[in-house]
This record gives sequence, C-alpha cells and structure tokens, in this order.
Amino acid sequence: MMPLFLRLRVRDKDGRLFGLWLPLFIIWLIIFSLLILAAPFVFLAALCAWRKGTGRIIIEAYFAVFSVIVNLSGLRIEVESKNEGVYIKLK
Amino acid sequence: MNEERKKILELLSEGKINADEADRLISAIEGTGSTDEDQAKSASASFPKYLRILVEPGENSEKQERVNIRVPVKLIRAGLKLASFIPKDAQHKVNEALQEKGIVADFTKLKPEDLEELLQQINDLSVNVEGKETVKIFCE
Repeated sequence: MMPLFLRLRVRDKDGRLFGLWLPLFIIWLIIFSLLILAAPFVFLAALCAWRKGTGRIIIEAYFAVFSVIVNLSGLRIEVESKNEGVYIKLK
Repeated sequence: MNEERKKILELLSEGKINADEADRLISAIEGTGSTDEDQAKSASASFPKYLRILVEPGENSEKQERVNIRVPVKLIRAGLKLASFIPKDAQHKVNEALQEKGIVADFTKLKPEDLEELLQQINDLSVNVEGKETVKIFCE
C-alpha cells in the first residue's frame, strides 16, 4: 500500500514546533496520471529497443518506479540535535 | 471441505477403503497441511520488515545529534532493483563518488537476481559501532 500522508515535524532553533500533514494521495494522482500517460511511449520505446536487448530493461525499470512509490509506506526519518529537529514519516 | 478430504470420504462411502485407512489418510493430509502453514508462518516471521539505523551521541560528543531512520525492507528491494537499471557509465561515476567518501562498493556488479539473497542476509545484520557516537544498524 502506498503512503497516503506525509507527516512532517520541524523544531527550530528557538524550540518552536511546526507540524504538517501532507496529503500525498493528491501528489500520487498527478504522478500516476503522468506515468499512465507516459506508458504508451515507454512501451513504444521498449518495442523499438527490443532487438538491442534493452527493451525489457525499459519495461522493468518502468515498473520498478511504481514499486518504489508503492513501498515508501513506513519510511521514517528522525534527525535531532540539541536545538533543532526534523521528523518525517510516510503513512 | 477441501478436495482431498472429499475424495477420501467418497472412497470410504464406495467401500474402496475402510474406516481405518480413511482415518490414516485424513490425518496424513492434516499433517502435511499444518507443516506447510507452519513453514509459511515461520518464513514470514523470520523475514524482517524494516532496517533501522540509530545514531546516538556519546557522552563526549560535541554535536549531540540523534538520528533514527526506519526503512522498509520492501523499499530497499525496490530501490536496489531500480538501481540495477542505472546505465554502467553512471554506475562507475557513483562508485567513484563513493570511493572518494571512503566507501568501497561496486554497483556495477549488482544484479536483480542477487537481491533476494542479499535481503535474506540482511535479516541477520546487526552492526554496533561505538566511538564519539554510537551507531546501531539492525533489522526488525
């Protein structure tokens, strides 16, 4: 399942906390639309390059991009120093 | 009721096997079924879900920075697969850049078929480095 929200929390030098929920599903809608629009061109390029042996690689790379997006869910990055901090979570 | 059990009961009703034989066959099927389930459960339980990287400052550390990263193993798998499609020339450049930073790794030798083995080995990975900062890398 792809992440639907990105939770961002930033603590600045003065100790103030900023929290933000970003609805990723809106961004995914745009990205997936672009990927789907690009699909015919990708398959066409793959067909042209099939004899050279790179056609299969183009198709596999195309699906690998999908795979990276879908598996981003659960990623968490937390960096904190004495005064500042950043917290990113994909949910 | 599954197909195998149904067939045994049909053989029993037709008189081709007796009750004892039917009992033995059913218990044999149940035995095999539970073993498969157990194996699947243990395999999924042993496979890690996340790779964790923790950096904690030591007592004498000046920076006092803490890093806590959790990367899904599925993302590593997908990322490595995508990385294997990077053209060889670009991979050489990545290798050179890593070597400049003191990391000796050859990404040109990374193949998609090696990924499964690599990910299975990650399960047992546990690195503890203690210096100015304590670095822990493990799977969970």
